[in-house]
Amino acid sequence: MNSNVSFRDFATPTWILIAVGLVAGGAVGLYEMFFGHLFATNNALVWTLPLVVYIFLALMSTGVSLVLAYGLIMKDASITQHTRPLLIMAIGLLLGGFTALATELGSVLNLVWILLSPNLSSPIWWMGALYSVELVLLIVKLVMDLKGRHGVFDMPLAWGTLVIAAAAAITIGAVFGTVIGRPDYHGAFLSIVTLVSALVSGTAAIVLLRPQSALTETAGRIFRQTALLFAALILMRVAYEAHSTVAGMLGWASIAMLAPFLIAAVLFTLAPRLLSLLGILGVLWVQYSFIITGQLVSLGQTAHWYGAVQSYQPNLAEVLVLVLGIAVAAALIKLGEQFLIERRPAA
Amino acid sequence: MGYGMVIDQQLCVGCAACTIACKIENNTPVGINWCDKITRTTGKFPDVRYEYISTMCNHCDNAPCVAACPTQAMHKDRQTGLTLHDPKKCIGCKACIVGCPYGVISVNWERPHRHWAQRDRLAEGCFSPREMVEESGGEGSPHGNPERGTTYPVVRPAGTVEKCTFCDHRLAQGLAPACVDACPSGARQFGDIDDPNSEVSKLVARHGGQGLREHLGTRPRVIYIRDYKPQRRFEPARPAGEGQGA
Repeated sequence: MNSNVSFRDFATPTWILIAVGLVAGGAVGLYEMFFGHLFATNNALVWTLPLVVYIFLALMSTGVSLVLAYGLIMKDASITQHTRPLLIMAIGLLLGGFTALATELGSVLNLVWILLSPNLSSPIWWMGALYSVELVLLIVKLVMDLKGRHGVFDMPLAWGTLVIAAAAAITIGAVFGTVIGRPDYHGAFLSIVTLVSALVSGTAAIVLLRPQSALTETAGRIFRQTALLFAALILMRVAYEAHSTVAGMLGWASIAMLAPFLIAAVLFTLAPRLLSLLGILGVLWVQYSFIITGQLVSLGQTAHWYGAVQSYQPNLAEVLVLVLGIAVAAALIKLGEQFLIERRPAA
Repeated sequence: MGYGMVIDQQLCVGCAACTIACKIENNTPVGINWCDKITRTTGKFPDVRYEYISTMCNHCDNAPCVAACPTQAMHKDRQTGLTLHDPKKCIGCKACIVGCPYGVISVNWERPHRHWAQRDRLAEGCFSPREMVEESGGEGSPHGNPERGTTYPVVRPAGTVEKCTFCDHRLAQGLAPACVDACPSGARQFGDIDDPNSEVSKLVARHGGQGLREHLGTRPRVIYIRDYKPQRRFEPARPAGEGQGA
């Protein structure tokens, strides 16, 4: 424990914002778990903003893990010298995502039960299992780093994290891509979208939260490349949707979605942190769009109840789950930085 | 052995007795119908056409909901071919709902029948909702069917999904599903659709027929035969003595 931490370290605008987010979002989470239902859902539109928040934060964590694993495998000092802050960031973001997911599921226990009664044909089970393994690997790496134990296990752990993180991101896409009978959810394309969006948001988060010159240069380079790749993917999707003959397809991609990624990639050096934030917001927009749009066409009898095509806008409670997820992630990252960063490895 | 249902569109009059019977039998909450309908109006006046398609869980052989469920809460019963749900294993992830191409699975967003737990009375001397439940000996609501509870909770837990079970509690007693018994025109037939000599298999053999969205490869066990045509309203659906007619 860092002995230099005092109460004053918590009396900052950042911590006050985090506390407000935890209280407001936590109240929604507790109400949802114990009292009633607050979200703008129905029996045809079941996955709304709270699930988007989980996917957004989990994929951002995946991106951070992938960058760190890349640095360790390639022995890139600009990354490896920030191993501990990056581990804390990845863990914080993932637990923030799990918090949003627990709120969406209505119980923390449901997160555990998913692992105890496995159905191996279910992408959601694999997603849960892979992210659980990912969390364990990150915690093991953090503990080893705190204890100053480096050696033969570093490289296998780095490779393990790389493979598990990539598989987890791809599996999130498969949750939607393996659905049949919904015109906007199908195919391996969604797995590519989730994997690339993990890299875009993860590198952007590193630049935004860990502005160190060498790290910003390396993460920024990956961010610009992946942001351009992501823009190309969205452009492909726009072209596909424009010429699609799939009945009932609404299309989640738009030309306007290219803007944040092109602007951020081209002008990155002018304002790295601001444009990283723009990239993160762009990723949230894309993820929100494809997850919601896929459910807007009502199937079967639900068309009678909710109309053939629904519209959706998140309500205040759902927005507060977004606030809660970010607040939990921010709190854990800040706590980790305040208590663990200054700590010297054990002799 | 595998249960299946045949719905004769020529005989169905769209009365929704199946929907009401299901609701009473299975104690479904407000906003959730295990048995429901799709209606379609097509054409241009005067050549218009109205279709009423009664829907429920299709108990697909290749059920997307079963494949999507991470906890095996949604599962196939090997002996009967039914697609069943275990609320004790359900974590409320809603993957089955997103995966089902028929829109026949619902979520209990709130505790079902919660207003029946209220003790507030409208006026002094009246029953409160809770007292009505206690007086009737019902579960969840005064008309909660206790027989439903033999294979599935009468009141399902909040946060879990639910859907048609083909009235598995009635099948266990040798009875047909409630919707089949309630149908006034004999449009619904139920039986072992894997047995080529069963009534339902003979109907499919005679009239053809197909399930909903079969092109998706789900292999549904609810088969629709014959489109409604007024000119054959009084033709027998099947030879005399072989089953119910119009």
